[in-house]
Amino acid sequence: MDRQLIPRGLKRSPLWKFSLWILPWCALLAVGIYAIFLCLARGLNQTNMDNRFAFGLWIYLDLTVIALGAGAFFTGFLLYILKRKELKAVINSAVVLGFICYSGAVAVLMVDVGQPLRAWFTFWHPNVHSMLTEVTFCITCYLTVLFVEYLPILLKNRKLRMIPSFLVFEFELHKVMYVLAGVGTFLSFFHQGSLGGLYGVLRGRPFAYREGIAIWPSTFFLFILSAIAAGPSFILLTTTVVQKISGKTLVKREVLGYLGKISGSLLIVYVLMKSIDTLVWLNSTSPAEGVQPFEFYMWNPFGTWILFAEIVLLGLVPGLMLLTSTIRNRTGWLITAALLTCGGVALNRFVLTIQTLALPTLPFDEFLSYLPSWQEVAAFLAVLAYGVLFYSLSFRYLPLFPQERELAHS
Amino acid sequence: MGSKQKNGSRFGMVIDLDRCTGCGSCMVACAVENNIPPGPLDANERTGNTWIRVQKVDSGLPFPQAQTAFVPVTCQQCGDHAPCVAVCPQNAVEVDPETGVVGQIPERCLGCRYCMTACPYHARSFNWWDPTWPAGMEQTLNPDVSPRMRGVAEKCNFCHGRYHAAKAKAALEGRRELRGEEYVPACVEACPAGAIRFGDLSDETTAVGQAIRDGSAFRLLESVRTDPKIYYRTERPWLRQLAGKRLGKQEKESVRG
Amino acid sequence: MFPGVFGFEWTAGNLIFLGIFNSVICLVLGAIAVAIVRGARDFANGKQDELRWDDDFEELPPTARACRHAFTGEIKHRVCPNGFDCRECTPHSRLLERGDCVADLRAQERSASGFEIEAECMYHRGHTWVREEGDGTVTVGLDDFASRLVGPPDDAELPAVGSRLVVNGSAWNLKRGSATIRILCPVDGEVVATGGAGQGWYLRIRPLNGAMDTRHLLRGGEVSAWIANEMERLQLALSNSQLGASLADGGLPVQDFTAANPEADWDSIYAEFLFGA
Repeated sequence: MDRQLIPRGLKRSPLWKFSLWILPWCALLAVGIYAIFLCLARGLNQTNMDNRFAFGLWIYLDLTVIALGAGAFFTGFLLYILKRKELKAVINSAVVLGFICYSGAVAVLMVDVGQPLRAWFTFWHPNVHSMLTEVTFCITCYLTVLFVEYLPILLKNRKLRMIPSFLVFEFELHKVMYVLAGVGTFLSFFHQGSLGGLYGVLRGRPFAYREGIAIWPSTFFLFILSAIAAGPSFILLTTTVVQKISGKTLVKREVLGYLGKISGSLLIVYVLMKSIDTLVWLNSTSPAEGVQPFEFYMWNPFGTWILFAEIVLLGLVPGLMLLTSTIRNRTGWLITAALLTCGGVALNRFVLTIQTLALPTLPFDEFLSYLPSWQEVAAFLAVLAYGVLFYSLSFRYLPLFPQERELAHS
Repeated sequence: MGSKQKNGSRFGMVIDLDRCTGCGSCMVACAVENNIPPGPLDANERTGNTWIRVQKVDSGLPFPQAQTAFVPVTCQQCGDHAPCVAVCPQNAVEVDPETGVVGQIPERCLGCRYCMTACPYHARSFNWWDPTWPAGMEQTLNPDVSPRMRGVAEKCNFCHGRYHAAKAKAALEGRRELRGEEYVPACVEACPAGAIRFGDLSDETTAVGQAIRDGSAFRLLESVRTDPKIYYRTERPWLRQLAGKRLGKQEKESVRG
Repeated sequence: MFPGVFGFEWTAGNLIFLGIFNSVICLVLGAIAVAIVRGARDFANGKQDELRWDDDFEELPPTARACRHAFTGEIKHRVCPNGFDCRECTPHSRLLERGDCVADLRAQERSASGFEIEAECMYHRGHTWVREEGDGTVTVGLDDFASRLVGPPDDAELPAVGSRLVVNGSAWNLKRGSATIRILCPVDGEVVATGGAGQGWYLRIRPLNGAMDTRHLLRGGEVSAWIANEMERLQLALSNSQLGASLADGGLPVQDFTAANPEADWDSIYAEFLFGA
């Protein structure tokens, strides 16, 4: 029925089968939208956040999702600026994923703040000393850039392409793509870093506080490194998942290996930097603030195992796995390593958001716990559903994988 | 001691922990003065809105050496580099150069709660609910203070409504300076034990001005270098020692409220 | 954000931060504006056909993009880099200068692999034939290969008399079932008359300036080599496209391939052979 919308030469499942796939995600989206409606209509009391746990599940997942979405800008940088042509196979998919991640994160942020209609105040009265101002500006600009990068992919749809003005606009837009890729890289560098800077500047929270260079704490640089390490792994993972679900080979195997190699090398650099930073923090920064680091890990369940897990289990191990070609060439191990990498980044964001807030800061404080409410979980699942729906539609009707045709014929 | 503003004052407090009985009158007076909405039934001490909180602190020693103290904690009115001022993305928090009070602009607040993460004293509350008062209770509202809307952060501002009223009264009398007792926040006035003393820290003639200069007063979390204007006093060494730490492993929970 | 807004101060921090952001915003908007302006200019210059063909050509698999001289064996294994526009091609003009290419030396055959080849006609890679009339105009029709591939069309959409057509742009559309097949134009020029499916020819075209440039059209001995190659490709495409029966060796091609192989992916096949879909 929708044959005319599907890119030529590609096979897609029949419309009824696709509808069956779409349906549960639409249901999840509907439930999530209801939860969001509750939060907007009744207030943030619908969540389990409170005055001590001012940041909760949403901020944590936003940070994770933005870190994983770094694959979009980094692939664009590698392809358009460093001219690594192998990545042409995944750039479209990466842009779609990036768009999903950032638009989803911004949507959740709009629910997370107490007064979403005042979001534009940050632009009108910016506080240039605040990391959050920087994050707001960068993410808004970058979301615009991502949308403009998505446009040519959208305009390549078979039916839309037939409209001559769209065809011509898409061609010219593609010619200036390197400008957008460059701007995207610049913006991403800064906002990935500033998200780390959010925590690193908190003098009152010695668990998160780090020294750094000029106004930028070390977490600024560590967040950038971990994001560009996780980005390619995330693209690798999603490509594999899409291949599995659609039952098609979409990229040549060496592309996956290449992504793994990039991810692994950056991950090792990150682990090295993170270890140095942790040692500095343990031996110098934290004691200088009057806290012996072992005091942070006295409370269950956040013992020192979490530090070990973050740096070794989910950092060094997948990094070494991805750098070893024998392991990288076995798809099962490649996927495992990519999963561990993404998990490591997720754990890092968790530690800095949730563990930081759980720890006491005053001598007569207690250690706190927090579990998200169903509305928070549902709202986030709505973003996941939105992402799956958006990607599914893009995959069905747009030529996301240039190598698919060639691989289908052979 | 922090910078002294040229023509302004630096209002601060000295709280005598040996006098505080933990009665909580300061918390009630604050709520009444500042139109703090009563929370719904399912609010707890972490979601409830209160600008001053009396913490219960134990010495940790067994009977018969067991001792308890009560520590009222409010916004510490940090100095020029207050953490909440630095991190607010909308410049909705600023240090008033005339009074040294850290003021909040509720109409500009986005509700991002970054200031609450940054504040190490947990001085800030968030309006998790729409403010509602039970029928009839709206008659207790203070007409000099505007209530805040849902979704914004708020904190102690040393009863700024009272400051403005005192300045207006002084202006009517042709003065620019405020005299000693003309301006006191509600908690100071309400405390039956007189544990909270308030005044201009930069003025050596006031009681608080003297108290901070005689070496017996201390501040919480000195090493964070927030330069707060709330000082505490105690003769009890265990309390002094506890208050000087960054993290203590506290067994008991704080007072509900 | 801007000077003049209450609370703005001329501090270094503000200047650097807001300066950078305003520049970034201008850069992004500028890039989009440039793309729009250039696009509007391209559109006004009628470049959309050229751009569409460039894009479509890139999408074709290498087997569909073989150089005309590869069929005759004059150049081995060459993939056309010019979108079948031999007018711009250096190796092609060099071969023509040498004067010994198959197109000139061998006569045009009347049939190849069972398909009829019109005499005195030149052929375009999109399966249209071009016959030069004495008065400077040319007649354009659909060749036997394409006619049999598509079968009898349900309808034809022809351009209006007076429209300007370009090489590799749209000439006319054929409707078969639910598919609309776009036929590529073999020459540059203006339409002076239209025919139809029943009349054996579709368009009469007059060149815009001077004589019609036909260097990119296939002629003489190379036509049969090309048709033979196309037939091979078609057999491969039909057998890829479905399980089971394809043409037996030595058999004659049917009058209507579309009807004879209804389960084949005609969408792709029209695109790979007629290029216009």
